[in-house]
Amino acid sequence: MNAKPTRMAAVIRDLQKHYVLKSETVRALRGVSFDVPEGDYVAIMGPSGSGKSTLLNLLGCLDQPTHGSFLLGDEDVAQMTDDQLSTIRASRIGFVFQSYNLIAQLSVVENIEVPLYYMGNLTAQSRLRSIELASMVGLGERLDHRPAQLSGGQQQRVAIARSLVNDPYFILADEATGNLDSVTTEEILALFQRLNDEGKTIIMVTHEDEVAQHAKRVIRLRDGEIQFDKPVVDRKVFTAEQIQEIAHNADVASRSAD
Amino acid sequence: MLHFRTVKLGTKSLLLHPMRSLLTVLGIFIGVASVIWLLAIGEGISQEAQRQIEDLGAENIIIRSIKPPDESGGNIRQVNAFGVTRNECSLIGDTISTVDRVLPIRELPQKFAYTGNANAKPIDGRLVGCTAEYADVTRLVIERGHFLTSREVALSRPVCVIAARLAEKLFPSEDPLSKQIYLPEKKEYFRIVGVLKHRNATAAIGGSLAAQDFSLDIYIPITTMRVRMTDQETKRTGGSFSTQVFELSQITVQVRSADDVPRTAELVEATLRQNNPGRQDISVVVPFELLEQAKTTRLMFMMFMGLIAAISLIVGGIGIMNIMLATVTERTREIGIRRALGGKQKDIVLQFLVETITLSVVGGITGILMGLFCPIVVDISRWGLEYFAPQLYASLPEVARVMRPTIVPISIPVAFGISVIVGVFFGLYPAVRAAQLDPIEALRHE
Repeated sequence: MNAKPTRMAAVIRDLQKHYVLKSETVRALRGVSFDVPEGDYVAIMGPSGSGKSTLLNLLGCLDQPTHGSFLLGDEDVAQMTDDQLSTIRASRIGFVFQSYNLIAQLSVVENIEVPLYYMGNLTAQSRLRSIELASMVGLGERLDHRPAQLSGGQQQRVAIARSLVNDPYFILADEATGNLDSVTTEEILALFQRLNDEGKTIIMVTHEDEVAQHAKRVIRLRDGEIQFDKPVVDRKVFTAEQIQEIAHNADVASRSAD
Repeated sequence: MLHFRTVKLGTKSLLLHPMRSLLTVLGIFIGVASVIWLLAIGEGISQEAQRQIEDLGAENIIIRSIKPPDESGGNIRQVNAFGVTRNECSLIGDTISTVDRVLPIRELPQKFAYTGNANAKPIDGRLVGCTAEYADVTRLVIERGHFLTSREVALSRPVCVIAARLAEKLFPSEDPLSKQIYLPEKKEYFRIVGVLKHRNATAAIGGSLAAQDFSLDIYIPITTMRVRMTDQETKRTGGSFSTQVFELSQITVQVRSADDVPRTAELVEATLRQNNPGRQDISVVVPFELLEQAKTTRLMFMMFMGLIAAISLIVGGIGIMNIMLATVTERTREIGIRRALGGKQKDIVLQFLVETITLSVVGGITGILMGLFCPIVVDISRWGLEYFAPQLYASLPEVARVMRPTIVPISIPVAFGISVIVGVFFGLYPAVRAAQLDPIEALRHE
């Protein structure tokens, strides 16, 4: 399934993050190390206050560590300027947020194109690719819809299409199913699995064991350190038929919603 | 392509709140329109003032007699003559080489009546004794008949030329030419030989503050005036008599070329004041200098107007800034999303700047269009005022009625440029503030 198991999407070594609040220093991450090989599907778990969000911000290149290194490909993110971080975010990371975070003024296809816009890569071909991605997530007929005209599941699918448009090192999903009902959650998880099966690397942050069961590997954080990092036993896998059925149902549901 | 997209996005964002954007644009619109309006009106007024001065003749020097304040307190037995004299007039003409012509002029306020209309009340006007060259030098234009001729002046003929408005008043239904005009105070008759064309008032000169109004003048040969009316002028006001003696009210000196005017003016002054340097009964007015002064005044005026307009633009700009600050707060989340998806700080700055500049440019362009309507609007409001409130209209100063607003061409690019600058200047702070938001914080913003 994984063509190049040796290549790393991300290498994290002794990552620390301290926040200075007035007089005290909060050590949100106290030295975290792990590798994410290409094609991996990692669930990061942990209770609130465990450093989950901090790690997510670091992985998303939204913040820089106090200490340690974070290699994306061969580039060390820890040493980058704000502009370089922006470039990395635009070109190498695919964000999927809990609350979708689509831009209200833009249509579906324009939302998908936003990372390309910031990379300066908007071309007629990229437009075709965005349309292709929209069709892949089942929104090929809603290219001109505004986010407000879509359901939560559809918006999240747009967000996933957007996360794919720059061909990222990994998709970073932050509680991507947190706002969705169980049916739609399944729909999104099926989509993730399909993408992972196609070789995409996925890192998702979640607090639901149910959701984490779909990943290949779980990293659990506690008090800023890794409590455990182990493969998922009894992983929940959708069969190809299930994936098709879910996609079909979602399609039917969205059509009847119109 | 990229820029087009940014502009398109900015427009879309602005159209999310059409009312708010409209009101913001209005601020700039008013600012730009008022820049153009104020400059156009200012230019119109100063052009009018300049025209009035030019009507006096840029190559002329005007010497006015000024009546000294009454010191004697009603003593009429001994009255001193004041003002410029005929001798001085010919002295200037004979001794100063740069002088082309000298015109002696004597003016008296008079009542006029038409002999053929005994019932009509005599009309107040001004009797002007002058020579044949007067029309040429003061640019009076004859409509019918002819101006006083040198022959008529030399022979002291009892003829006159009357101004257009006076002609209309005295002869509402008759042809004034060859009719007799009667001066009840002097008991003299004059035959009309010419009627002048309408003419606007010229700039104020000498001691008088009022603009010179030629519309109620009657011109007679100065020789005739001297023979028939002497230099002494006695008036009865409320039972007491007042007498003044003066030979001339004014000498208009025409210089060969405008370049010689300042030098000649000095010589004229020196000549007139050679025996009495502190002489108070004359004043020398140089329209050429007035013109120069008017140009300075005009510049000051324009600057002043521009300042007022600039203030309104700044107010408009502050309006933009206010709205953009609100917008930034409102769209914090969007900023976070854009930053997370790879927007650099400068992309965010650019995005918000494009929005403010769009607002200010739209305001600028519509403001310019409104500004171009200035002359039409002024005409319409004048017409409206004349139609609905004639008294009010009549009480307006001459300048307000005659002045034509002139769009200053430079004001259009300047107004546009200022509106863009205002957009950039007042948009920069909100935009930079937006860009400096922490992406993590911004993403968390509800």
